[in-house]
Amino acid sequence: MTSLPASAGQAPRLRLDARSAPASWAALGVGAVAIVVYFLLHGDAQTVWYEVIGAASVAALAVGTLRNVAAEDRAAWWLFTGGMTAQVLGDIVSSVYEIGLDKEPPVPSVADAFYLGGYPLLIAGVYLILQRRGGAMTRATSLDALVVFFAVALAQWVFVIDPYNHDASFTTVERLTYMAYPAMDALLLVALAQLVAVRGARTRASILVVGGVALWILGDELFAIQYASYMSGAWIDVFWLASYVAWAAGALDPSVRRVSAPPSRLVPRLSVPRVVLLAGALLIAPLSLVYEKAAHHHVHIAIGIFGALISVAVFARLGDLIRRYDRARDAERSARREAEVAQQLLTFQNQQLRDLDKLKDEFVSSVSHELRTPLTSITGYVELLREDEESPARREYLKIIERNAERLIDLVSDILFAARLQDGRLLLDLHPVDLNQLVSQAIDEARPRAEQARVELTLRSDGPVLVHGESARLSQLLDNLISNAIKFTPVGGDVEVALTRVGTMLRIDVSDTGIGISAEDTERLFQRFFRSQSALEREIQGTGLGLYISRAIVEAHGGRIGVSSEEGKGATFVVEIPALQ
Amino acid sequence: MSDLPVILCADDDDDILALVALRLRRAGYDVRTASDGAAALAAARDDPPAVAILDVMMPRMGGIDVVQAFRDDEALAHVKVVLLSARVQDSDRQRGLDAGADAYLLKPFRFEELEETVAQLLA
Repeated sequence: MTSLPASAGQAPRLRLDARSAPASWAALGVGAVAIVVYFLLHGDAQTVWYEVIGAASVAALAVGTLRNVAAEDRAAWWLFTGGMTAQVLGDIVSSVYEIGLDKEPPVPSVADAFYLGGYPLLIAGVYLILQRRGGAMTRATSLDALVVFFAVALAQWVFVIDPYNHDASFTTVERLTYMAYPAMDALLLVALAQLVAVRGARTRASILVVGGVALWILGDELFAIQYASYMSGAWIDVFWLASYVAWAAGALDPSVRRVSAPPSRLVPRLSVPRVVLLAGALLIAPLSLVYEKAAHHHVHIAIGIFGALISVAVFARLGDLIRRYDRARDAERSARREAEVAQQLLTFQNQQLRDLDKLKDEFVSSVSHELRTPLTSITGYVELLREDEESPARREYLKIIERNAERLIDLVSDILFAARLQDGRLLLDLHPVDLNQLVSQAIDEARPRAEQARVELTLRSDGPVLVHGESARLSQLLDNLISNAIKFTPVGGDVEVALTRVGTMLRIDVSDTGIGISAEDTERLFQRFFRSQSALEREIQGTGLGLYISRAIVEAHGGRIGVSSEEGKGATFVVEIPALQ
Repeated sequence: MSDLPVILCADDDDDILALVALRLRRAGYDVRTASDGAAALAAARDDPPAVAILDVMMPRMGGIDVVQAFRDDEALAHVKVVLLSARVQDSDRQRGLDAGADAYLLKPFRFEELEETVAQLLA
């Protein structure tokens, strides 16, 4: 089994989004109204309403987890549900104190146990999502997380946790309990930072989760700063309530199934959010120092310790980057060396090919010379003999020898011509040429052959027409096509050559009433050395070079050649060449 | 010595040389023969012909070199030259004409073709 590409599942998911999106919007809307109602209520009703919002959110989280989250991703969402349940239980215990006993719960109480117990679940949930995404556990992301952790820990210690140390009104247990919250928040904040920095799919659900965590931390931090004046029902409650709602809405949104989707690359880029995060983390130690100095507080040793730890983590990260850069440079260098070697090899091979090509040229040229020289003697002496011969019978025999010698010459010429075409060298000596005149000449030259084969040869032409061409090559083309037509037409058949003007093109149709060409042969007709099945069966002589050469000549003139045929009913070769205005 | 136009034929192929000589003699010319380029040049210097028919590929001195020698020699510069060759490449023909030949015929040729060319050059 192969997994489907991401796009394969896209369409149905989009339909689901469109149908179910109102669930998360509705949750946000209902949540917002509930929060407004909370601030309109007073006394016990307000306290109970807080629990109602919390419990409803937990229920929504559970429903969303079951309905929207893929089974393998559910663990994280069950941890969120568990963490939130602990918070709601803490709230309920506090309410029992406030409503039943009419007093704020003592510190520590069972409520604190629930509250503090909830944090590890929430933090673990975030890390499970990061783990599912992959990429959170690489060395680079871990070092970045460490830098952020040290910075957050520094700020939490200096500004939030340490002040408890200096409040003489606390007992040690109270102090430790209060200090535990910002410590948990520091861990949650680091998890949040990674959630933002490790890119996953940017979905509505992931934004809601990030918002939920951020609101929770904000509520806690504000509480820690002004714990002394906190009363149930204070404006700070809006952050925790909004966090409940956001988290629940996230779980209800269908896009939640993509929150754990892995990012496109596992080694993080230094993206803008990541750089901002790291730069902010680096500035925390010096800025804390400046603030402490300006506020005439005593300077914490923690700034130095955490500052040093941050430096070590940054140095390790920098070292990794430099090593990575060096490796990339080495790889590039060796790739370039390989490319140079390959280039040299190519140049060498190219030269070899050129030498071979030259050798072939010389071979073709010398073979041509060696064949044509004896043929010159043969045809010359036969011609001489024939002129002197008195006996008609012997003159006829000599004519046969002459004709066959000429065929040999044509064959040698065609092979040589085809060899040159193979090199892509058909350079034309172009002049304005009257195609009508060339066609007439070709017909006149072919007439004796047509008469001998008892084939009717006719010309249909609109009169003189000029093309830009080489007359020797165009004559060769016409001779090829007309000879073929005569050769393949049985006794009593017709061959017609028609020259017409079609728009900007001149069109030559050479049609016959011959044996025709089968559809499968038509496709290969213009290939070098191809002979049609019907030609082979009827033992019609030929080299299979004529049409190959014809096509090359037509194309060198900027034209095109084609054929239409029905087996047994003849064939029509059509040539089109641009006309000269 | 006759008053017939003198034609010098040079070819290393004896059969072709004999054929061309026979044909031209029958056509009414005073024909001299040579079987390589150097001999042709010597014969021409000895007695300048009206027309020289030279094979391109000959031992010792090719037809093209002979044409060049003719053109560089004041006494032979006016001699009409027909080159004969079995090499069909366009570049070969061009080289021959560039060297100063008046005509270039491809082997095998019909004798009428050669006779017409010679007659035109003598006209």
